[in-house]
Amino acid sequence: MKITIENLTKQFDNHLAVNNFSAQIESGQLVSLLGPSGCGKSTMLNMLSGILTPSQGKIWFDEDDVTDVAAEKRGVGLVFQNYALYPHMTVLENICFPLEIQRVPKAERIARAKEMAQLVHVEDLLDRLPKQMSGGQQQRVAIARALVKKPRLLLLDEPLSNLDARLRIEMREEIRRIQQSIGITTIFVTHDQEEAMSISDAIILMKQGVLQQMDKPQELYDQPKNCFVADFLGNPTINKLNAVYEGGRLLVEGMPCDIETSSVPASAPLYLSCRVESVLINQKPSSIKGTIIDTYVIGKENIANIQVGNSRVRAYIDSDSALRPTEEVTLSFKNKGVFLFDANSGERYI
Amino acid sequence: MKKIHSIKFSRIILYIVLALGAIIMVLPFYWMIIGAFKTSAEINQFPPVWFPSSFNLDNFKFALETAPFATYFLNSLIVTFCCLICCTFTTILGAFAFSRLKFFGRDILFSLLLALMMVPFEMLIITNYRTIVSWNIHDTLFALIVPFTSSIFYTYILKNFFASIPESLYQAARIDGCSNWKYLWRIMVPIAKPALVTIILLNAIACWNSFLWPMIATNSPAVRTLPFGLYAFQTEGGALMERMMAAATLVVLPMILLFLFARKYIVNGVARGGLKG
Ligand SMILES: Nc1ncnc2c1ncn2[C@@H]1O[C@H](COP(=O)(O)OP(=O)(O)O)[C@@H](O)[C@H]1O
Ligand SMILES: [Mg+2]
Repeated sequence: MKITIENLTKQFDNHLAVNNFSAQIESGQLVSLLGPSGCGKSTMLNMLSGILTPSQGKIWFDEDDVTDVAAEKRGVGLVFQNYALYPHMTVLENICFPLEIQRVPKAERIARAKEMAQLVHVEDLLDRLPKQMSGGQQQRVAIARALVKKPRLLLLDEPLSNLDARLRIEMREEIRRIQQSIGITTIFVTHDQEEAMSISDAIILMKQGVLQQMDKPQELYDQPKNCFVADFLGNPTINKLNAVYEGGRLLVEGMPCDIETSSVPASAPLYLSCRVESVLINQKPSSIKGTIIDTYVIGKENIANIQVGNSRVRAYIDSDSALRPTEEVTLSFKNKGVFLFDANSGERYI
Repeated sequence: MKKIHSIKFSRIILYIVLALGAIIMVLPFYWMIIGAFKTSAEINQFPPVWFPSSFNLDNFKFALETAPFATYFLNSLIVTFCCLICCTFTTILGAFAFSRLKFFGRDILFSLLLALMMVPFEMLIITNYRTIVSWNIHDTLFALIVPFTSSIFYTYILKNFFASIPESLYQAARIDGCSNWKYLWRIMVPIAKPALVTIILLNAIACWNSFLWPMIATNSPAVRTLPFGLYAFQTEGGALMERMMAAATLVVLPMILLFLFARKYIVNGVARGGLKG
């Protein structure tokens, strides 16, 4: 099912939680709604599910305007952050519940519930109560309960945030597998960019209730529309250097830089942002100099911390590199993964 | 080593205190039940007889024959049962409305109701009496039921319990297609079972033992209840202790049975419905 969101706005008493949000989600896709805590992701999801009524704007499921349709009639599946399983019902009863409400005959609903339990691999736990299960198991049950009534849209609100790191990776792959196997349009809320990058067909990045960019994960990483998007994605986070355009050339931390620029306003404060993998050390002649502060290893990566003017830059180095702290180095940049932003508006120039 | 020792010691003290408490609680009941089986010689004997020589049922027989105990018993049963059904029903609906539904003036209305709890029952007797007289149900079983078909206090307790059930369960149920009505009966009430059982028990005891109101609202023996019967027994049966004990045992017995029966549900309810996180 295709979802169309049109100028959606939600105003709480004195707080604009979602602001003029428009997007289109193609049928069968898994789209992540990504953003820092409190940026309005849950509010957005709750408006899609019908729990919250929008202050303004419209929601379309395919060709139907569902803006005023009540939650119980929308036919969406929703997995809550805390799973919200019914504590007094067993796993089987929990999964059966939506069908029971629809008055599906008992034999059929048990058959369908068992089928769902198999899909999410909880078929051995049918007699357990929620409190007798681990977080990961509860979450699988919550997904089964959301899917059993064959919704046209599956919504997941930070479903992995209560799990430990290893289980999180396992479960996100599970979610992707289940989503692919039934081809259901899915919106997945998370504040973890890595999670979003790893499972989504597309990512919607939000900040303070405003949509920043919607794109394929790699596009979002390679072509951020503004400074916030560039900062939010990537681990380690992108390097940010103070820059200014003066006398027809770009000065980075006061040092001239040979990056091609055009149509940049003169004297305005800028950021030159470069991905960690786009920084080259001592490879090309350049007038940008820095001092090594320290070097460290994360997993298989060797990273150097470099002081450049008033900023810190991180760069990958060879594992056999002889770079030592206090050593002076020359920095240059690859063509890819280097962006120039307006420091105030965040607007991107290159 | 020393620490373990002191822990054990404080444990022993604790158990002794608890055991003493339990004995003090149970002793009067034991004395009553045992007294009901005694002969008149045994009951006045000193030192007291702790175990009657035989379990003779004469006292019970006498009690049942003297006052129209069977009628009283049936009346008590009907009144308690009807009060429980009506009151529990209105309590559940009221608690749901005040905890989940959003309507204009909800909190002010509830504060007003709570303020009504300050008015002692003795003061309400006059207005209640006038009401049942004007409704023409004076001296009927209805008069004993109608004033007790709702309770602010129990509504307040249950409302607080309902309010502690996470909002996300309500939202989940709505997403599952559940109406308010179904949500109340399929999700909230089962989860609130421990609180409900407690409320029902308290209410049952209050109804069963209620004395003042039935005294005032009824005249004819055909509609009087057990506590009045016990009172009448004092005068009609003479001050014979062993017979009083038998009558009292008969009055209390259903409540004890109810309690023993419900105990399992309280424990089960807590174990099964306990909310996590
Ligand atoms: N019921 C509410 N009343 C008032 N403010 C709310 C309510 N729900 C959420 N908010 C506010 O709206 C903003 C967005 O909340 P939310 O959508 O839950 O953020 P997220 O899920 O992205 O962390 C937050 O600042 C939050 O404080
Ligand atoms: Mg949230």
